[in-house]
Amino acid sequence: MSTSTSATHAHKAEIFCKDESRVDWHSKALWMLREKRDRAAGSLPEWEQLRQIGSEMKLHTLTHLGQYLEEFEQNCHKNNIKVHWAKDGAEHNRIVHEILAEHNVKKLVKSKSMLTEECHMNPYLEQRGIEVIDTDLGERIIQLAGQPPSHIVVPAIHLKKEEVGDLFHDKLGTDAGASDPLYLTRAARAHLREQFLSADAAMTGVNMAIADKGAVVVCTNEGNADMGANLPKLQLHSMGIDKIVPNIDSAAVLLRTLARNATGQPITTYSSFYRGPQEGGEMHVIIVDNGRTDMLKDKILAEALKCIRCGGCLNTCPVYRRSGGYSYNYTIPGPIGIAVGSQCDDTNSMPWACTLCGSCSYVCPTKVPLDKIIHHHRRLKAEAGKLPYGKASYMPLVGKFMASETALNCSMSVARMALKILPGSLLKPFSGAWGKYRELPVAPNSSFEAWFKKNRG
Amino acid sequence: MSSKHDILNALKSAAIAPQAMPVIKVAPRIDDLVGQFEASLNTVAGTLHREGGLAKLQAQVDEQIAQGMQIISMLDGIKGNREVTDTAHQLRDIDYAVIPGDLGVAENGAIWVNNKNLGHRVTPFICENLFLVLEAKTIVANMHQAASKLTLDSGEFGTFIAGPSKTADIEQALVVGAHGACSLNVYLV
Ligand code: SF4
Repeated sequence: MSTSTSATHAHKAEIFCKDESRVDWHSKALWMLREKRDRAAGSLPEWEQLRQIGSEMKLHTLTHLGQYLEEFEQNCHKNNIKVHWAKDGAEHNRIVHEILAEHNVKKLVKSKSMLTEECHMNPYLEQRGIEVIDTDLGERIIQLAGQPPSHIVVPAIHLKKEEVGDLFHDKLGTDAGASDPLYLTRAARAHLREQFLSADAAMTGVNMAIADKGAVVVCTNEGNADMGANLPKLQLHSMGIDKIVPNIDSAAVLLRTLARNATGQPITTYSSFYRGPQEGGEMHVIIVDNGRTDMLKDKILAEALKCIRCGGCLNTCPVYRRSGGYSYNYTIPGPIGIAVGSQCDDTNSMPWACTLCGSCSYVCPTKVPLDKIIHHHRRLKAEAGKLPYGKASYMPLVGKFMASETALNCSMSVARMALKILPGSLLKPFSGAWGKYRELPVAPNSSFEAWFKKNRG
Repeated sequence: MSSKHDILNALKSAAIAPQAMPVIKVAPRIDDLVGQFEASLNTVAGTLHREGGLAKLQAQVDEQIAQGMQIISMLDGIKGNREVTDTAHQLRDIDYAVIPGDLGVAENGAIWVNNKNLGHRVTPFICENLFLVLEAKTIVANMHQAASKLTLDSGEFGTFIAGPSKTADIEQALVVGAHGACSLNVYLV
């Protein structure tokens, strides 16, 4: 049994599942994204070719990472960009704070960066007297609500417009009861414009870092990264070591698949390339490891670093759609969250938040073998003696039981009989958590074995 | 310095054998590039003006000026009523910006804009509305072709702009006009 104090995935999912209509609504909203993605992918005859190139290009880069990171740093220096290296989140935060403190920064505008979430940067800076304003609308909504993101591309997907309306009424003074997305977005635009214009520094994540140019690429639909980085004189960019690509050609491949796979758009509204600071300004890039080199030491886990954070695997995942982003014990939810965050989950339940249906691997634009990685995590947990829910105690028994033909056949015929003659209400408790939200199966007339003997044997 | 050393060192024990860089060779769709570009631009909520060129744009600009709008033009041949400001922040009241685009991409409607033509880098984002001007002959089929053509010298900033800014963060309802320009009109010359 796990000794953790946090709740398991199933436990937290149960909280989300209490409101059935919200679950349906959540699932549908994400499925809509999946459908848009399918249309966008289907309209490109070369889609599969792009996935293949994307995958091979990322693998190539990951297996030459040292070389490309050094090349990137050298070229950044030529472009007057300052480069910093951080082993972990703590070091990342310290570096950022040092830069900000040196420039006497009081207000930082930030554009979506899952990496800074991963490092828990906001509270770190806020404790040191720096106001951090998330500027992506979804990010700003959850920041005002005091919540973490529940999706990596649409972070406030779990909130209804009425809830956003109430929140904005409270925090931004919009009309009470107003819930029109256009009205609310305009209010946020006005509010955030003042923030951009009064900020002392801007920080963004990095979608791609181009080694041979010493440039970073930042993609947004709202233009928040660009309003941020191009107004104050000080701009910071945080990137994981996995964000490197060799050249502009390879960045172009990913720019073709990123938005199509995320929201079904042919490209994000803005794809901006920064190859140096603005006139009289300063540009810093912080390169962060935070566990990535460890993942590279495992052949299977390493492939998770091919991820370009499009969110496609979340949108298609039957478990994510029905359990919500907050049920995962990691900043990044869904299949990719399980792949990169399972080691951090002290309840050891994340790898089981998956049906192994493989839909995620199928949609991934860089062919991250998510189901394989998740399965591998189960093995790693088992080998470490960390199976959740007491699986450690009963799984060996299940193994023995399944291995014995007589025991299995005999109990299965009992089960078939029971399913036929006993009422469901009597049987359901025996199915445990599995049967909670499922109907019991209709019992077949005979066992597969008997059927096989009769028809094929 | 030591963290850099540690990270590079740790990378030496990576488990996957070195993989070769794939050849990026994707067949472009070269039929009716302008038509493709127009269709793509529509899907990203932008509007293309195929006919009329600079004269049509200048007429549009004049009309806006007559209505009291603040217009900055970064394009020789189009006259606005505002000059490049001392600081980027002073652009906050710009209603329209006229900016030349370097190249257009048929597959997605994106237009590459380079900071040589922006005055301040923030110009195409801070204006309420954006007019981009594009030479028809600069339209390429896809991002691979765009990548081989775009210029981004040391110290520069460049951006692909595909439509007006937008968001769907509130219940997935598409709203045009987030932080950047609220509309995009592209004039073909
Ligand atoms: S694993 Fe693939 S599908 Fe999932 S977010 Fe990453 S790139 Fe997208």
